[in-house]
Amino acid sequence: MKKLFSNPDELAAFLGFLSLRLWLALRAFMTGIEKFAGGVSGQAPVLIDGTPNTYGLTAEQTTKVYGWAHYHGVPEALYNQFEAEPLIPGFLLKAYDLAIGPLLILLGLTLLLGIATRISLFAMALLYTSLTFGLILLKQDAGIAWMGVHIALIALALFQSRHNRFELLRNW
Amino acid sequence: MKKMQSTIRRRDFLETGALVGGLVFAAPAILKAQVRNSPSDELRIGFIGCGKQHEVLFNAMQNIQGLHYTAACDIMKNRVGATASRIKSRFGYMPNRYLDAEEMLSKEKDLDAVFVATPDFWHAPHTIMALEAGCHVYCEKMMSNTLEGARSMVKAMDASGKLCQIGHQRRSNPRYRFTLNELIRKEQLCGQIININGQWNRAVGSSQDISVKPSILPDEQTLLKYGFGAGTSAKLSLDQLRQRFLNWRTYKALSGGPISDLGAHQIDVFNWFLGVQPKSVMASGGRDYFRDREHFDNVMCVFEYDTPQGGVRAFYQVLTTTSAGGGYYESFMGTEGTIEISERSAFTNLYRESGAVKDWDALVRRGLLRKTAAVSATGESDAIRAYESAPPDRYDLPGDLNKPPHQPHIENFLAAVRGQEKLTCDARHALESEAPIYWVNPAAENREIIHFTNAHLQV
Repeated sequence: MKKLFSNPDELAAFLGFLSLRLWLALRAFMTGIEKFAGGVSGQAPVLIDGTPNTYGLTAEQTTKVYGWAHYHGVPEALYNQFEAEPLIPGFLLKAYDLAIGPLLILLGLTLLLGIATRISLFAMALLYTSLTFGLILLKQDAGIAWMGVHIALIALALFQSRHNRFELLRNW
Repeated sequence: MKKMQSTIRRRDFLETGALVGGLVFAAPAILKAQVRNSPSDELRIGFIGCGKQHEVLFNAMQNIQGLHYTAACDIMKNRVGATASRIKSRFGYMPNRYLDAEEMLSKEKDLDAVFVATPDFWHAPHTIMALEAGCHVYCEKMMSNTLEGARSMVKAMDASGKLCQIGHQRRSNPRYRFTLNELIRKEQLCGQIININGQWNRAVGSSQDISVKPSILPDEQTLLKYGFGAGTSAKLSLDQLRQRFLNWRTYKALSGGPISDLGAHQIDVFNWFLGVQPKSVMASGGRDYFRDREHFDNVMCVFEYDTPQGGVRAFYQVLTTTSAGGGYYESFMGTEGTIEISERSAFTNLYRESGAVKDWDALVRRGLLRKTAAVSATGESDAIRAYESAPPDRYDLPGDLNKPPHQPHIENFLAAVRGQEKLTCDARHALESEAPIYWVNPAAENREIIHFTNAHLQV
């Protein structure tokens, strides 16, 4: 440990940065993954005292599954509102809707693995800023504030990026 | 074609004696068909009557395996054609088509079962004809437009040794069977049932006369031959005969009216759940909106029962002029709780009295109930606290039926034909339950309380 960190403050700074990096990576990666999530509904026998009832009573059971068939980049309710916005062209909305999920996954992975950490963080900040742009148009103040918190964390990470370790691609 | 059943004379029954109000229903169906070679054997099915109710039955049975739709019959050529087309498009073959039931039964010697969905006044003749031809029969409710007709069906069933299931489909519905066996009988969820409240409220728009283009309707000779001129000595025009053919439910000689069409299902549930026949009925009815109709357009009635637990009063109303007020349901109201059950989940609710002894949440944990949103609280500005009870907690049944409502009843019939199950509503048990319903219209017409005797209710 002495070889890696000359004093406890340096260790603390590293752990602080690592915490931010992991949180931001996980936040982006899992949000991207969840955009591929959907529900498959089916009927299952009602369990009474732990065993299937003999009457034929069934209850709806929804199983969570992942796949392209369930992909939804921008949530449907928001998508419909964006469609009505004159400042968002339809073709751009479609492209954005398709790209946002894979982009979040990609940026989450690059940050997690330490591939061009600084560029990844900046790209992530641009992505969250683009989301903020849409939310401003819809006057969703709570969402804008929530995005602001993300941007602040990314900015903090960029300021502290000199403490970064364990990177696959150290440049950029 | 057999001669149609004559209308029963009310006074013949009132003259005779013994009270049967406390008659406890016999055990569930005892009839069971001879076991066929294999459960996978294909059953050959015939349809008598291809109208609207037939469509309901066909839609409920088309997912049941192991059936071959051999023949279909209706006096209206267009309907037989529509049924044949449905079978062709779904299964890839055509059934044999007939315009006369007697001809169908004489030519189709290898039918296993026949589904009768004709007007009520034809139920008994067609059922008897099919039973005597060696077929098992599934006949729509009401069994007949007359008590005498219904009794003749039971006799024919007994004499033929064949099965006769009556279309009270709630008797096979898992939700109803679960409610009766587990919640009412085993868990005693209602405590002592003191009152029953049932209704079928239907809007004016859903109660209008049916009309179709005259060119596809049967001709005058056919309508007269098949009895659509019954109940009047007047010479009927072709238009009047066609009106009777399409709207037979509104004519006294052809049907029992709304209390029979809609009420029969629900009053059957009253009697089935209580396990006894009522001891009396009082009723009121009127032709207050559809003034030209022979039958009442709205009927309200009260049955009184003596049960092993004590007296029970059951109110039932059928409205053909208003749909508001909760649709259709049967509500069993007891000292501990109320079960308001309906064929539709949306109209089903269970309420626990605030002072109930039993812990219903323990039943939720076991999977017997599901808890839903609480009922709105009392004590608001318009409430008079001294007069109000604490609001009951609200629960729901733990599951649903994931099939058309008629399918389990048809499945039960077909399984019984294959010797695998007992009928849930054979003609004898159906009549034990239906018999009191035949006396609602007379009680309303004569504005009298009818105290049932054996002559009124015997099967």
